[in-house]
Amino acid sequence: MHRVASAGNTSNSTRPRKEKRLTYVLKDTDDTKHCAGINCLSVLKSSSSSCDYLFTGSRDGTLKRWAIADDQASCFATYESHVDWVNDVVLAGNTLVSCSSDTTVKVWNSLSDGVCTRTLRQHSDYVTCLAAAEKNSNVVSSGGLGGEVFIWDIEAAVLPVAKSTDVMDDEGSNKLINSGNYGLPMTSLRSVTSSNMSVNNAQSHGYNPTAAKGHKESVYALAMNDSGTLLVSGGTEKVIRVWDPRTGSKNMKLRGHTDNIRALLLDSTGRFCLSGSSDSMIRLWDLGQQRCVHSYSVHTDSVWALASTPSFSHVYSGGRDLSLYLTDLSTRESILLCTNEQPVLQLALQDDGIWVATTDSSVHRWPAEGSHPQKVFQRGGSFLAGNLSFSRARADTAGSVKLWEITRGVVIEDYGKVSIPTWFTMDTRLGSLSIHLDTPQCFSAEMYAADLNISGAPEDLKINLAQETLRGLLAHWISKRRQRSGSQTFNCDGIPGRDLPSRSISHSRVDADESTENHHLVLPAFEFSTVSPPSIITEDSQGCSWRKKITELDGSQDEKDIPWWCLDCVLNGRITPKESTKCSFYLHPCEGSNVQVLTQGKLSAPRILRVHKVVNYVIEKMVLDKPLEAGNPDGQFGLVPGPGQSQLASLGDSSLRALKSWQKRKPSIEILCNNQVLSPDMSLATVRAYIWKKSEDLVLNYRVVQNR
Amino acid sequence: MVMGATGSKLEKALGDQFPEGERYFGLENFGNTCYCNSVLQALYFCVPFREQLLEYYSNNKNVGEAEENLLTCLADLFNQINSSKKKTGVIAPKRFVQRVKKQNELFRSYMHQDAHEFLNFLLNELVDILEKEANAKDSPGTSSQSEKIANGSSHLHVNGVQKEPQITWIHKSFQGLLTNETRCLRCETVTARDETFFDLSVDIEQNSSITSCLKNFSSTETLNAEDKFFCDKCCSLQEAQKRMKIKKPPNVLVIHLKRFKYIEQLGRYKKLSYRVVFPLELKLSNTLENADAEYSLFAVVVHVGSGPNHGHYISLVKSHNHWLLFDDENVDIFDESAVQTFFGSAQEYSSNTDHGYILFYENLGGRS
Repeated sequence: MHRVASAGNTSNSTRPRKEKRLTYVLKDTDDTKHCAGINCLSVLKSSSSSCDYLFTGSRDGTLKRWAIADDQASCFATYESHVDWVNDVVLAGNTLVSCSSDTTVKVWNSLSDGVCTRTLRQHSDYVTCLAAAEKNSNVVSSGGLGGEVFIWDIEAAVLPVAKSTDVMDDEGSNKLINSGNYGLPMTSLRSVTSSNMSVNNAQSHGYNPTAAKGHKESVYALAMNDSGTLLVSGGTEKVIRVWDPRTGSKNMKLRGHTDNIRALLLDSTGRFCLSGSSDSMIRLWDLGQQRCVHSYSVHTDSVWALASTPSFSHVYSGGRDLSLYLTDLSTRESILLCTNEQPVLQLALQDDGIWVATTDSSVHRWPAEGSHPQKVFQRGGSFLAGNLSFSRARADTAGSVKLWEITRGVVIEDYGKVSIPTWFTMDTRLGSLSIHLDTPQCFSAEMYAADLNISGAPEDLKINLAQETLRGLLAHWISKRRQRSGSQTFNCDGIPGRDLPSRSISHSRVDADESTENHHLVLPAFEFSTVSPPSIITEDSQGCSWRKKITELDGSQDEKDIPWWCLDCVLNGRITPKESTKCSFYLHPCEGSNVQVLTQGKLSAPRILRVHKVVNYVIEKMVLDKPLEAGNPDGQFGLVPGPGQSQLASLGDSSLRALKSWQKRKPSIEILCNNQVLSPDMSLATVRAYIWKKSEDLVLNYRVVQNR
Repeated sequence: MVMGATGSKLEKALGDQFPEGERYFGLENFGNTCYCNSVLQALYFCVPFREQLLEYYSNNKNVGEAEENLLTCLADLFNQINSSKKKTGVIAPKRFVQRVKKQNELFRSYMHQDAHEFLNFLLNELVDILEKEANAKDSPGTSSQSEKIANGSSHLHVNGVQKEPQITWIHKSFQGLLTNETRCLRCETVTARDETFFDLSVDIEQNSSITSCLKNFSSTETLNAEDKFFCDKCCSLQEAQKRMKIKKPPNVLVIHLKRFKYIEQLGRYKKLSYRVVFPLELKLSNTLENADAEYSLFAVVVHVGSGPNHGHYISLVKSHNHWLLFDDENVDIFDESAVQTFFGSAQEYSSNTDHGYILFYENLGGRS
């Protein structure tokens, strides 16, 4: 019993997926609030008479612009395109630059309504931090995990691609690191890149950032001086590295911290540097003398955020110990400005106030000096992370499904024992529920229309959950698309550029009878809110991603953005049939029962078939087999024992009359499994999962119970 | 039996210093059973283990013809040595070896076997037997003999419902507790998971020491790139740092040096003859508790030979301040200063192929 092999994260590692994945993110608030922790802040000072703006970047994957008035901040715009945490944001002039755990850096017009002007895909791992040069608004550097640091000339990077094939905003730059390699075919470049992610759809347009090469480990903090002539980086290597961002060459290394460096600041001249570390220390470095001149032991836990006064005489600091301190760098005196409810992630100074971002979804503004009570400027939206575990609550040990309100510890609804195949996966990293759909697994769950309270639908009409969900999600897109194509009813096969196998007969229920209009009828149970509409994220196996609110789809996107299998499902009603929607079983009389043997072969029915249907089948067979023995041997009723395999469908009308008269005689049928009488509401899948509990084909028994 | 010559020679060498009541017996080799003999000698001179086993023997000898198992065979063997009229000699552990071969087909062949694997198998097997016996006794309702875990099942809170493990005297001697700490580099929350161990298997380096091997064992590993850590607090994959620490040092610390390493290019295992210094007194500093645990070396299982698939095992044992070398039937006294000849060699091809393989240290803090 020696050391156990290290517990890897194999369950979490992203397995390569063949097809693009479709994810939708549920929201319960409108767009004026963030729904996860705020990772970053940036203040845009207005030059004219208009108000100042605050930019926030959140773990919910969006950025927001807030107009700051005297005692309130109102949300003006939401920038939605990142598909993972927004980790940092800087302003380069009027250009907004953000970076994310989705490995991209995005460039936005800061005063727009949220238009992303370019996505820069140079990084191969999470991009954790950004730095801008105050007086050289073109220079922005980005740092990330794996020690990748790039210095961008934003103006050049944003220049339009010469022959753009993209309709929309953002096709990535290429992943070249050496500009000298530009022009080589992409395939040969894969070996040149240091990244372990493959190059995807990257179109070279001639601009490559400068790389600051030499980091051995991940970078968590960056800072640049005003003129953009000095760059400092820090991370898990515990050293501060100093670079010339114009060339990417190393200047020096500064040692002193004993843990990860999480925050860096440079004064405007670039002579002094402040660093905050997970070793809970703040250090002041003189880059001219290449040494640490002061260390400030203010915090009791990791320092995650620093902000300095314009003269670099005082520093604000915050971190894991929830406290915000103001420290005089020369006298080394500190005052506690406030204690937050959550760890402090970033700080931004604006005139006489300081903005504090925490892992909560709200941002607070505190008076910059003194410890008087604060003004809370905007309280964020739902902080969902807490009550988002019902994916786990579902996996109840007793085998029954219950919906818990975990904040009150109350069971809201008990669904009893239910077996529904896993047709989606989910996570909560964006502070909301993200539901992932992958083909073909997502099409494995069905429900009866009756259970979804769909009026007017035949009782045993089966609804594929994923198909209807996709219809609901893409309803807006479909109507926009129809508007685009004018009055002309468009053809199902009219998806441009996609080589779909066309079939003359679709197996979908909707196509079976109705006109194209009916393709797009969204069942009430699958209507998504338009007040707080979910966002769609698509990701391919290379990590290429795209995100949009469902109501903002303008109908122009097709197979480029939306996975082809979703389009095929929604437009053509085609879904990849899953064998697992069927359940095979044997039906035998109970031991000792003298009821005649109906069938010895294996039967097959939908997994969701209810036990009462099996009861009906048994009754039908018992009744019909006698009187119709001679008359109607071909049997229109559902279950026809074939050579070993039969199909169970709905009851034929012809048999109903005979059935009713037989029922008057009042015997009833019980279905048993493992000697347990089954409730008529149970589905075959549930019986199999909770009563049969074996991998072999299900065996059901029936017996006649005489009513008294 | 061949005993006269060696026996008397050892007795002569020790003279009056022959410890009272102590027995030094060689063990006969039944064809490549030196892996077994060397481990048995080390365990015999592990005093708490021997005492407990002899106590078990005397408690059970009157139970009648109880079913023979590995534990009863080992108890018989130890008793046979301990109660021998002669102070020295050779004993054939025939029934024990037969039992081992019956129990585990791995050890059935006459191939060269791994002594560490055997030690592992033996201890786990003994624990199983003791637990079964304790459970059988417990079933009427009273818990006796083996007490339930006392110091709170704080480290075993996996979903609450876990069968409380029995603490046998094997556990009391050999079991230690490791804690596996993972710190998310984003929110810096530390999650700790504990696991028990009977021995520590450590990677070795050329010209190193046990202290540095243990340091490497506890060194920080970063989970990153494609192998990130799912942080429950962040609800996402983040980089994390992971390290192992010894939370509760065992009374008998068994350290296994990973001298047999799979070399990919060769497609086979290779013996590393690296020089790894093992001190007679060891301080365990990478523990969670502030006080360093101090240990003293009392036995070494030595692998002799240049390859993993052949060779020989002998054991060095410290008994009453004398160092003895047990080589199957032969028992010799040797000087403490010669222990260092078993450290390994700094050069790749050395004529000395006797290398310390399993080290047995006892806690000087005394038995608890």
